[in-house]
Amino acid sequence: MNPYATSIMTFSLILGTTITISSNHWVLAWTGLEINTLAIIPLIAKSHHPRAVEAATKYFLTQAAASALVLFSSMTNAWVTGQWDITQMNHPTSCLLLTAAIAIKLGLVPFHFWFPEVLQGSPLMTALLLSTLMKFPPLTLLLLTSKSLDPALLTAMALASTALGGWMGLNQTQTRKILAFSSISHLGWIAIILVYSPKLALLTFYLYTIMTSAVFLALNKIKALNLSMIMTSWTKTPVLNATLMLVLLSLAGLPPLTGFMPKWLIIQELTKQEMTPAAMAIAMLSLLSLFFYLRLAYHSTITLPPNSSNHMKQWYTSKTPSTPTAVLASLSILLLPLSPMMHAIV
Amino acid sequence: MNPTLLINSLTLLTLTILLTPIILPFLFKNFKNTPQVTTRAVKTAFLISLAPTTAFIYSGVESVACHWEWKFIMNFKIPLSLKMDQYSMTFLPIALFVTWSILQFAMWYMASEPYVTKFFTYLLTFLVAMLLLTTANNMFLLFVGWEGVGIMSFLLIGWWQGRADANTAALQAVIYNRIGDIGLILSMAWLASTFNTWEIQQAVHPHQTPILPLMGLILAAAGKSAQFGLHPWLPAAMEGPTPVSALLHSSTMVVAGIFLLIRMHPLLATNQTALTACLCLGALSTLFAATCALTQNDIKKIIAFSTSSQLGLMMVTIGLNLPQLAFLHISTHAFFKAMLFLCSGSIIHNLNGEQDIRKMGGLQKMLPVTTSCLTIGNLALMGTPFLAGFYSKDLIIESLNTSYLNTWALLLTLMATAFTATYSIRMTILVQAGQTRIPPMVSMNENNPLITAPLTRLALGSITAGMIITSFITPTKTPPMTMPLITKTAAILMTILGIVLALELSNMTHTLTHPKPNPLMNFSSALGYFNPLVHRFFSKNLLEKGQNIALHLIDLSWLKKMGPEGLAELQVAASKAATSMHTGLIKAYLGSFALSILVMILMTH
Repeated sequence: MNPYATSIMTFSLILGTTITISSNHWVLAWTGLEINTLAIIPLIAKSHHPRAVEAATKYFLTQAAASALVLFSSMTNAWVTGQWDITQMNHPTSCLLLTAAIAIKLGLVPFHFWFPEVLQGSPLMTALLLSTLMKFPPLTLLLLTSKSLDPALLTAMALASTALGGWMGLNQTQTRKILAFSSISHLGWIAIILVYSPKLALLTFYLYTIMTSAVFLALNKIKALNLSMIMTSWTKTPVLNATLMLVLLSLAGLPPLTGFMPKWLIIQELTKQEMTPAAMAIAMLSLLSLFFYLRLAYHSTITLPPNSSNHMKQWYTSKTPSTPTAVLASLSILLLPLSPMMHAIV
Repeated sequence: MNPTLLINSLTLLTLTILLTPIILPFLFKNFKNTPQVTTRAVKTAFLISLAPTTAFIYSGVESVACHWEWKFIMNFKIPLSLKMDQYSMTFLPIALFVTWSILQFAMWYMASEPYVTKFFTYLLTFLVAMLLLTTANNMFLLFVGWEGVGIMSFLLIGWWQGRADANTAALQAVIYNRIGDIGLILSMAWLASTFNTWEIQQAVHPHQTPILPLMGLILAAAGKSAQFGLHPWLPAAMEGPTPVSALLHSSTMVVAGIFLLIRMHPLLATNQTALTACLCLGALSTLFAATCALTQNDIKKIIAFSTSSQLGLMMVTIGLNLPQLAFLHISTHAFFKAMLFLCSGSIIHNLNGEQDIRKMGGLQKMLPVTTSCLTIGNLALMGTPFLAGFYSKDLIIESLNTSYLNTWALLLTLMATAFTATYSIRMTILVQAGQTRIPPMVSMNENNPLITAPLTRLALGSITAGMIITSFITPTKTPPMTMPLITKTAAILMTILGIVLALELSNMTHTLTHPKPNPLMNFSSALGYFNPLVHRFFSKNLLEKGQNIALHLIDLSWLKKMGPEGLAELQVAASKAATSMHTGLIKAYLGSFALSILVMILMTH
């Protein structure tokens, strides 16, 4: 893409995010959200492939509707309470509408339908932005209003998200759709703890961002858009594949890796809040997503592809070193011993 | 002179002498264990065992000798104690006498056997186990002897291992014995938990003994002594060599079950139900076996069924509450039954392995000693007055007729007596008398003293044993002294009836009319259709049950379907259902969003 256009879009993304995060007034928050939406549309439709264009269209329709709903909820709250403060969102119906709107923005069940298709239509790096950066402003809004939200609704949406993310992810072979459903699952974890401990939700989001970024960057390096590409990539980048396996297992939440930290702390907090059945349910539903993470990990490292190559390691590789991948992968594997510090920082 | 010390030490000496052929090879390197050595050991043991028996007869002293004690739990002691009472003192010399004769005969019979030393060792081990069973004072030693004779029976029946029929017969013997063992262990458990001991003297119940342990004992006796229901193994056991049949399945092992009931008699006597059960079971067994023996053509099978029938008669005697009389019948029966088997062994070997009586005939002229002993044995079996069998059998029939009991049992026993005479005379006529039907080129002779000496000895025993034993052992219950003439002569009348029947039937065979098949004869030939019905049914049932429960229910259903496979199927179904929801149409998506918001609002207000 034209470098000017790219710089404008990138700057707009950063601007929109910053406006929403740092705003106190609802209209300013809405403005930031709209700027983000508009800025990322060209990034999605960059290659003028029909699928990309369709993804961009779907994204625009759903996000515009969601932003309008955000504005509507804040307006009804202002009508009833007389103030536009984000943290003073007291009216129950407004909270309900806000929750629904942010759920559409984030991709929580039952408002998640747009997410896999949009992710599938966009390039891998844009998909990374959609999964991590674009989720940050709506999540901030939820965090700010977290004490007035309905816990039952959030718990129901969270459990449904984890379940659906698990079941749908089992049936996919395209990596972007798999990562979309993994994102939906993790959003479930974030949503369930939002009301009880917003700090923990934020920590989960940060760790999820680190891990997903590592995965996306790794997949971008090997250009793996489906499972068979992953299977044949071990000849080109063997170390990256091994690291990818570890990062995927960290996403799944297996103990000595970082991804275990948020899950453990969330289950502990839920148990303290006397929500043990919910904790058990969400933990068991995550087992479904464990299965497809394992499948991905298996394909990246452990199995040999049916079409065997003539030699084990190709002699030429594009060995451009990539610092972000390395740093993010290391963080997503080794951060568990630092849990107390992480919990204190956030 | 202290008879107790004499009896105890001499009995121990007898048992030790029996063990010498087994122990000495370990002590002396160049000691050759030949059949002669074994036979001589048993002969010596017999001669020595006459001394304690004489001392017992003279003094009437019964003693219990406790040699060692096994304390395996705190308050439950198992002493290694031997009881020398009238039963074990009488049985010891009789068993040793019969075994000596059989071993001497086996030296000729098994002369061409390559592993003849092992055969004799097996027979000796069997004898030791049997004597342990009879002299045991507690259930533990009795059980050791019981299992010992069971195992040796298995090894000896299947002696010719290459023969599939022999292996099947050995397996049958073991399985039927095992079923009886269930009853024995049940009774032992009850005994241990009720009286805290396995000593038989201490097991005296103040009131009526409960029926459960007694049923266990009766089951054990039925298994070991081939009563009806657990009887097929005894005719099948004829696959073993003739000395084995003579020793185990006529004189000693099969009487172990009856012996157990004799020992446990104080427990049985109080429970009338158990006694009636013994009576009816025994009556049924004796008649069934006698019926089956009528149409058998294998000489060994006839004698086997005859054994089974006499065992039924012993069970009837137990049911009449006359254990001493049952023991008397055991003792006299040992002599003539062993002799019958040895005669049949001599005939079979001389005819080169022919066992079918339809292919024998007129052997009286060619094997005079053998056929004379056969006649003596058959007459003793039928209860001919003043031969050995008379003293026991006639007394039993008299007691049957004069006691208050089940009429059906009485009638069956009388019919069985008649049948005994019938098949005995049939066997005698077909084997010895008439025109000969043997193949022309046989060289038969009984010149070897190894054949004639045992036979003669046992014949002397068959004639005199009844008189000797009844002269010296005082009865514990008064025998019936007065009875009507018809009752007194019932036994002899039934025997004569049987003889007349047999002679009449054999006359009919001279007229050369084709015999018509009739259902009664088929019933008798097919041994009552018992074997095919029972063997198939129970094993198929058990295997099916095993497959249903272990394989289908547990493995396939619970461990597979309820666990991993079922769970995986559920997830696949959920995944498919969820995938079909994601159609890709934005209209549907936006519509579902609106619907969801509507539902959320309606639910909270």
